[in-house]
Amino acid sequence: MSAGGPLRSVGSMIEATELTKRYGGRNAVDKLSFTVRPGRVTGFLGPNGAGKSTTMRLILGLDTPTAGRVTVGGKRYADLRAPLRTVGSLLDAKGVHGGRSAHQHLAALAASNGIPGRRVDDVLDLVGLPADTARTRTKGFSLGMGQRLGIAAALIGDPEVLILDEPVNGLDTEGIRWIRGLMKSLAAQGRTVFLSSHLMSEMELTADHLIVIGRGRLIADTTMRDFIRTNSRSHTLVRSPEPEKLRALLEARGWGVRLDPGGGWRVDGTDATAIGDLARDHGLAVHELTPAHSTLEEVYTALAGDSAEYRAGEAASGKEAVR
Amino acid sequence: MTNDIIGARAGFRQALAAEWIKFRSVRSTVWTTAATAVVPIAGAVFVAATGSLQDDDTVIGGSLTLAVVAQMLAAVVGAMTITGEYGSGTIRTTIAANPGRATVVAAKATLVAGLLYVIALVSCSLAVLAGDALLPARYATGEPLPALFGIAGSFAVAGLLGLAVGTLVRHSAGAVTTVIGLLLLPSLFGPLFGDARRWIAGLSPTAALEKLTQTSDATAEAVGSLGPWPSLWLVAGCTAALLLVAVGALRRRDV
Repeated sequence: MSAGGPLRSVGSMIEATELTKRYGGRNAVDKLSFTVRPGRVTGFLGPNGAGKSTTMRLILGLDTPTAGRVTVGGKRYADLRAPLRTVGSLLDAKGVHGGRSAHQHLAALAASNGIPGRRVDDVLDLVGLPADTARTRTKGFSLGMGQRLGIAAALIGDPEVLILDEPVNGLDTEGIRWIRGLMKSLAAQGRTVFLSSHLMSEMELTADHLIVIGRGRLIADTTMRDFIRTNSRSHTLVRSPEPEKLRALLEARGWGVRLDPGGGWRVDGTDATAIGDLARDHGLAVHELTPAHSTLEEVYTALAGDSAEYRAGEAASGKEAVR
Repeated sequence: MTNDIIGARAGFRQALAAEWIKFRSVRSTVWTTAATAVVPIAGAVFVAATGSLQDDDTVIGGSLTLAVVAQMLAAVVGAMTITGEYGSGTIRTTIAANPGRATVVAAKATLVAGLLYVIALVSCSLAVLAGDALLPARYATGEPLPALFGIAGSFAVAGLLGLAVGTLVRHSAGAVTTVIGLLLLPSLFGPLFGDARRWIAGLSPTAALEKLTQTSDATAEAVGSLGPWPSLWLVAGCTAALLLVAVGALRRRDV
């Protein structure tokens, strides 16, 4: 690993411009433009079938875009001299032959880009795969070991850019924590880290920046902090035996009042103290008064709401749904 | 570390090195290749032991009776070098590591053709030597040289045909069935085509192999009157054309 080595140039951005991929009459990726910058973890968030994997395959030149373009460090992937030196990737389907050992898999990858063979032991060490395990066939690997091998493969060329599709899928908590720490440290070294997930909770803990897509389109491109600030609105839940009277009072103050799905009112624009005082001043009984936040998960679900409906329809055509 | 890999690049030489590691680290390709090497020799010993050779046959033709089977295995080896990648999903890893898809196929083709040529040359030479030692002296020897070089070449061609079909079909079972069909069917169904039989059967790499082994089965009416070497060049040309089509398909398709 180049930990402690010189920090690399900060020029290795992923830039997508009006990127479009059409499968069977439907745009799996639809005029998607975004930039992934070095030095931070960028989360790529969207429900299953939103086009995340397709976008990643487009970046890696595995699929050809129908329109638009995507570059890594200003170059098309296919024009990279030694791709593994610039971009390390872990795709959804791991792409390891079960009959081959981890060591052989990595050795072949290293050879394909003229990377010295001893780098294999370095990355095995880095991801914590023991030497004797690395010599056995990968068929018997647990999900966690397979994922570690996938990350080792991504790191084989000591790349400036990492593209990982759902890296924590199916991992136990220890494995998830390990990947999180690794991603953050790689970003701290000045690398570009781009990882996808369909889980907001995962992103909340790992990503500094968020790109959210649904139905192949960009929904949000913002820092995690801004995303939380703008989207995680708080409200106060209030319940009273005289709801209509209470609502009139609240609205007279100019506060937003919505019906809570569980009964009672959701009040925006104020806090519990003010509502409690107001009710007492007018002699109204209050049976519940609770400050509440809409979670990021809720916000994301709402954002991606119509994208989720799309899934059923996509199952018939999209490549994404097949995987 | 960083400085060590500054000269890194993903070209043909690197692709070939990677393909060689991949080839020898999977059992299916290793064992099928081993079988390709063993079958001709076993065939020579078997024919000598059973005395099943016809009187008008030659030592070289008799010794290489099972070369046709070995050639099919060679075609399967060629197919597996790429269908194994589709089956396991490593094709995406391979193409991501080397986006030059034509380069990847060229590396696979070089490996398959080179390896099968050497293996077939050694194996078939040993088979002929074994036959020569074991068969009764009343059989004509035939002319092993330079025919053995052509025979080895026909194995390389079969391997490349397998690679081309595998690249197009992308599925092990489908590719193996198709390529064995391409090798076998022309001579099986040739007779159905009447006078055209010799043209149809003559297009199979098997025809070139049979002519080169100088077996009595390789009659002009069965596999055409084209000489052994022109026959080999013809199937080599057809295979090269199919390989180009396969490269075109791979470059066009999403992986």
